[in-house]
Amino acid sequence: MKHPALALLGAASVVVLALSACTSGGEGADATGDRTIVFATGEPDHLTPGRQTVAFDQVLSVFAPLVTLNEQNELEYVQAESIESDDATTWTITLKDGWTFHNGEPVTAHSYVDAWNHTAYGPNSWENSGQLASISGYADLNPTEGEPVAETMSGLAVVDELTFTVELIGPDSQFPLQLSSGQTGFYPMPEAAYEDLDAYDRRPIGNGPFEMTEPWEDNAEFTVSAYDDYAGEQPTIDGVTFRSYTDMNTAYTDVLAGNADVVFVPAGKMTNAGADFGDRLYAFEAPGVDYLGFPLWDPRYASTELRQAISMAIDRDAVNEAIYGGIHEPATALTAPSMAGTPEGVCGEYCEFDPDAAKALLEQAGGFEGTMEIIYPGGLGIDSLFEAYANQIRQNLGIADVVAKPTTDWAEYYESLTSKTVTGPHFGHWGALYASQQNTLRSLFTETGGCYDCTAYSNAEVDALLAEADAAPTLDESYALYAEVQEVVLEDFPTVPTFSNKYPYVTSPKIAELPAVSGSVVLSLVELSEG
Amino acid sequence: MSQLADLAPAPVPAGRRTPWRRTPWRRTVRSIRFLVPAAMLALLVVIALFPSLFAGLFGNGDPRVCDLRMSGDAPAPGHPFGYDLQGCDVYANVIYGTQSSLAVGVFTTMLATVAAVVLGTIAGYRGGAADWIISRLTDVFLGFPFLLGAIVVLTSIGQRSVLTVSLVLSLFGWPLMARLVRGSVRSVRNADYVRAARTMGIGTGRIISHHVLPNALAPVLVIATITTGSVIVAESSLTYLGIGLEAPAISWGLQLASASSQFLSSPHLLVFPSLFLAVTVLSIISLGDTLRSTLDPRRQQ
Repeated sequence: MKHPALALLGAASVVVLALSACTSGGEGADATGDRTIVFATGEPDHLTPGRQTVAFDQVLSVFAPLVTLNEQNELEYVQAESIESDDATTWTITLKDGWTFHNGEPVTAHSYVDAWNHTAYGPNSWENSGQLASISGYADLNPTEGEPVAETMSGLAVVDELTFTVELIGPDSQFPLQLSSGQTGFYPMPEAAYEDLDAYDRRPIGNGPFEMTEPWEDNAEFTVSAYDDYAGEQPTIDGVTFRSYTDMNTAYTDVLAGNADVVFVPAGKMTNAGADFGDRLYAFEAPGVDYLGFPLWDPRYASTELRQAISMAIDRDAVNEAIYGGIHEPATALTAPSMAGTPEGVCGEYCEFDPDAAKALLEQAGGFEGTMEIIYPGGLGIDSLFEAYANQIRQNLGIADVVAKPTTDWAEYYESLTSKTVTGPHFGHWGALYASQQNTLRSLFTETGGCYDCTAYSNAEVDALLAEADAAPTLDESYALYAEVQEVVLEDFPTVPTFSNKYPYVTSPKIAELPAVSGSVVLSLVELSEG
Repeated sequence: MSQLADLAPAPVPAGRRTPWRRTPWRRTVRSIRFLVPAAMLALLVVIALFPSLFAGLFGNGDPRVCDLRMSGDAPAPGHPFGYDLQGCDVYANVIYGTQSSLAVGVFTTMLATVAAVVLGTIAGYRGGAADWIISRLTDVFLGFPFLLGAIVVLTSIGQRSVLTVSLVLSLFGWPLMARLVRGSVRSVRNADYVRAARTMGIGTGRIISHHVLPNALAPVLVIATITTGSVIVAESSLTYLGIGLEAPAISWGLQLASASSQFLSSPHLLVFPSLFLAVTVLSIISLGDTLRSTLDPRRQQ
């Protein structure tokens, strides 16, 4: 759980910036009865669930998570029979009987415990190790100095073939949500995997609806086909071909031409996606938020009123229409509405467009001297968005010099945050891997949450309230406390919430209905057009 | 070699300077092929110098006043060219864009020409090692892919303004002209009147400035004019690729870059800046062409 947002955006920038072109050979005419689809995506980094950071769609099709969310964003069990706890600290996970991996091996408690231990073990340095950090004994496997003193986490215990217990380092009511599909570090692996982990990374054996029929090779497409003995909901299609593109704009054009079937709309194409695809454009509520961060250590931006003035000077509806083609949703809270219990509207008047009030607040803050530079990472296709912000702040606040300034790339942008050299309001995005407010609030507004540099904000009161919320006995009680956290943070107004993300996808006419969970497509339940 | 020398302009007798200009110039100035592009260019230069005079013609003269809610809307009264993606007036932006485009064109050409004349004259007049070194240098620059070079240099510069973009463009623009200057200078270097000047004991500097250059510069002027046109195009292409000028500068390249993705829904965003760009470049190049036929002795029958 180190930097999910970083990972997501890093992936985006890799896709955008990569230099070499990649094959996108035309596909033969759809033979009648062809029930496979082509998913246009970026090149995977890894296919092992404990390692992947950009291959969500591929891994999600080959593996089944313990839990998922239904349309009301409520928890639903997939591989798990139940996940229960009396004190929110020790959780008992029972698995459904009769599930098998693609090689016929049954899915047991060992499949989970062994995989989690292997992922968490420091010397393996697997990318998703951090997701398991709240399990007791994780620190023994990942000492800050020296050799690990254990190879397995003391918090994991196998009770019987289908049951195991997880002891956390502290009470956490959100633990079941953390087990949902986005956190692939919590996926199981069969025993066969450990024989040759490199080969497994190329051709993972999972417990999901699709199985790999050929190993993945660099820059080549690969196909997964429906797994006949899948114990969950049977896939509606026969297979999915994952085709890598280095430039997602090309992928977009290919889907428009019918050479591929599904693609995530790249930022620069959002304005036109509606016109290009009509009702074949899907916008899924996603657990991500956009905001403007501030160099809070800079005296020019130290005033809460100034930051509120900037927030009220931005006409989010107009920006959404003009730049995003109306796809996103103007933010009214610090977390996305898809996060259960998000107190929508908690930001109140400060997230509403009101140029007069904004000017009054700016005066109260003592005005603004000099040039306001709004910093954003270049190369992601978000230039017009930030130009729009700059225009609005300049005109609506009457500040003479407001400039949108791109950095050369993502690395330079991130470096300016960590080294605290960023010179003005800056791009901010947090995409959570699981649909709990906990993740976004902890990451952005505490010192130890993972992305302290993203906002440079922390507050003892917030820390205390978050701990209380995590320890709440029920989810509903935790929601009330998280809402309180949002109120406390918004009193200081360290960031300007701008948009709640929707993840837009477009499809070829071959696809009649594209289902999704938490913003990512559920490929196994895609409905094809008749004929 | 002797043939080339024959083609060189006639020697300039002392006391009567540049009589060769008289007749063809008059004829040219009166011709339509000169008047039309020159008038267009004059207008564009005035626009570039005083954009505010023209931008306000339709009542919305500030290119930075934008209403996002009008984003991409078609031409309307007061906004003859419509609105861009940010809801700003396209007409005002195109007018203000003239400045940076022309500035880059003129500035680059001036820099490149000065460099070319200095280096080309040294190479052509001195010959020997200096010639060899400068000639190989031009070969290296000419052999280097322009776009690649420009991308590398511009990305590493960081700050990209009219000045830096011009510097980079002239870095890759001077070699062709330098080669031309060298050729012309070589062809007059051993002409009788130059030898005569040398025998009379006139200093090298004076020989070059008074006898060599006036006779060697004509073809350079023609090429320089045409270069200005291609530099403006090059600036637009670089800016379009995202490595030329950057916002908040206002330039046609930037407008084209942001318009290209909206082309299908709002074609006017692409049409108007391209129209101005095309007219400017066309005027410059046809002016250059007219100059060429005026100054080229072979075409003067």
